[in-house]
Amino acid sequence: MARLTKPPVQRTRRGFRINLDIEERDLIHRLLGELRTLLTESAAPESRVGEPDDRLRRLFPSAYNQPADRELDIEFRRLMRNELITSRLAGLDLISDSLAPTDPAAPELTETQMVAFLQALNGVRLVLGTMLDVSEEHDIDDVGADDPLVGEYHLYDFLSWVLDSSVRAVQS
Amino acid sequence: MSITTAPLVVDRPDQDETVEPDIPWIVLVWNDPINLMSYVTMVFQKLFGYSLEKATILMMDVHEKGRAVVSNGTREKAELDVFRLHEHGLWATMQRDDA
Repeated sequence: MARLTKPPVQRTRRGFRINLDIEERDLIHRLLGELRTLLTESAAPESRVGEPDDRLRRLFPSAYNQPADRELDIEFRRLMRNELITSRLAGLDLISDSLAPTDPAAPELTETQMVAFLQALNGVRLVLGTMLDVSEEHDIDDVGADDPLVGEYHLYDFLSWVLDSSVRAVQS
Repeated sequence: MSITTAPLVVDRPDQDETVEPDIPWIVLVWNDPINLMSYVTMVFQKLFGYSLEKATILMMDVHEKGRAVVSNGTREKAELDVFRLHEHGLWATMQRDDA
């Protein structure tokens, strides 16, 4: 007999419950750890236009895109790129312990943690989606079972599903 | 036609000055294949306090027209808005509102 599937993220009286099993939480926890490593290892670039690490291109977009504002963009990146890294690492710190798959009980996140969870999930999707070069028409059914990146595509879709459910929970 | 966030009332008696420090700036969000429509709508509501209806219109503008103006103001305010949008992973840029 079919079991009613709960949405992966639900609003509760005190915050949000993450209804993912231990394996799924372990997966997210490891991905957030990889995002932390990427962010920590990405040293501040010298004054230049554009993001030096192509995988992080979408995490650190240009603020000024007009040719006349080139100097302003270099200055913005010089001042704000490390701010963005700090802000993202602080967000990861807020949720990492709660998502650690040590407790079989479904974790509960506060409103503040939920915001950090949304940003972190989306951060991983931005890196993964950039590496996969996904298009707007991305459809997992079009990815062949023999595609060398089929696992990454499934991972991307899993994260999209959890993120969309998180947004619904926040909006509810 | 893009949707501006508020009617802009700017007194510009002298249109000849090209580098006006108080020329307002606009913040644009660009379409991208990764960010979810639901997520983008939520970010607009959260960061700018827009209603669900207004945030959805802006999100659809980004989706269908490739970009939308989501806020405007001084250069400092625009930089802060761009930073907060980047924190949430949106592809935001800013430019002078003189195009």
